[in-house]
Amino acid sequence: MGKSIVITSGKGGVGKTTTTANIGTGLAQLGRKVCLVDADIGLRNLDVVMGLENRIVYDLVDVIEGHCRLRQAMIKDKRMENLYLLPAAQTREKDAINPVQMQELITQLKEEFEYVIVDCPAGIEQGFKNATAGADLAIIVSTPEVSAVRDADRIVGLLEAQELYDPKLIINRIRPEMVRKGDMMTIQDMIDILAIPLLGVVPDDESIIISTNRGEPAVMDKKSQSGQAFRNIVRRLEGAEIPFLELDDNSVVGRLMRMIGVGKR
Amino acid sequence: MSKEAFFIKGDRSGLSLQIPEDLEFAEVINQLRTKLASAHHFFAGATVVLTEGVRKLEPAQKVVLESTIKEFGMQLETKQIEQKPESTPVRTDETLPDEETLLQRRTIRSGQKIRFSGNVVIVGDVNPGAEIVCSGDILVLGALRGVAHAGCNGNTEATVFAFRLEPTQLRIAQYISRAPDGKVPLPLGPEVARITENVIRISAYS
Repeated sequence: MGKSIVITSGKGGVGKTTTTANIGTGLAQLGRKVCLVDADIGLRNLDVVMGLENRIVYDLVDVIEGHCRLRQAMIKDKRMENLYLLPAAQTREKDAINPVQMQELITQLKEEFEYVIVDCPAGIEQGFKNATAGADLAIIVSTPEVSAVRDADRIVGLLEAQELYDPKLIINRIRPEMVRKGDMMTIQDMIDILAIPLLGVVPDDESIIISTNRGEPAVMDKKSQSGQAFRNIVRRLEGAEIPFLELDDNSVVGRLMRMIGVGKR
Repeated sequence: MSKEAFFIKGDRSGLSLQIPEDLEFAEVINQLRTKLASAHHFFAGATVVLTEGVRKLEPAQKVVLESTIKEFGMQLETKQIEQKPESTPVRTDETLPDEETLLQRRTIRSGQKIRFSGNVVIVGDVNPGAEIVCSGDILVLGALRGVAHAGCNGNTEATVFAFRLEPTQLRIAQYISRAPDGKVPLPLGPEVARITENVIRISAYS
């Protein structure tokens, strides 16, 4: 029996889909059997980020409504044998399915896969309820912005109400030089408010935009700093203890400070 | 729309609310809001009894009515409405002394609200967007960053204590104060807020 993980955030645009794609691909790279599920019905993106858009025939709603078998809707990744995607329907809406149906589907997938990773839509309505039904673990993605942290906090509360305890935090798009100048929330600020364990910190990185647009998750790029951050997150999920990345401050001041041995981060 | 949508009547047993049957529900809520807003928390902490029979409300409408009334610090008494799972049952018997204390060992997060008749002790943080309303004192053994309303039934002796008192808004009885705009120097240690000379004042706890 595998483990189901939902990637959620409350706020939109913080990087849920990118995180889902990278964690899924990263776990598959370690040889795990992984299925990604796009629960963002009506606004599907995960297929695009994975570069699998043109292979969709059936989707999640087709499976739930019995128009096809589960296996028919699952798309095998073009790079890895052991990675699959169950895409969302684009022409339907969130209320096309309900949490009970979703839970049954996840349970079915867990029998075959070691990890089932669900990409949750933004918001706290039906889509959120569907996506979190049947999850064993929640990963909350937040950026270092007051609004994103506020929404993340609300999500932790709502998950508790659903008896989904002990979520993990991924801080996305942190900019070390802004943190140093005091213009951005620090990691500690965010942990103080949310009071949940940190799973990883992903730096703001241009290469992730490029890889996302190309449909090639950054985790496969050995040179990318954000890719490294995701590889670490994946290994932490697998139970390894990995220290958090020393984030390079690539501003001129940051480099100067490193040269004279002052700046640590 | 000149017709008054409702009547709030006071007598020995408390306030009662009557809604005429011929007005649109949205308009009723609208006028209720205007009325309560103009009363400046005069009604805060009171219990309103909905007089039924004149007009039957649908369950959904009742929930809206209840939440509107709650927004202004009042409670609606109806037997049919169930308490929301996130909130704590409210004692409406005003004759009881504020002796009871609710202990919560958790972080109160954005969107969560605790209402209690008595004192509230939180072992953990109260985050921005969370709300604590009680008739007695509030003690937060952690950081208070949300909204706290102590002495909501008009008890001006009520106090708010926190290890880190950085509330969005602080209310004691009918008094309201908010955090100053812009950057605020962080409190160094435990602080307590109480009313002195008709103003909420914060002082270091010793």
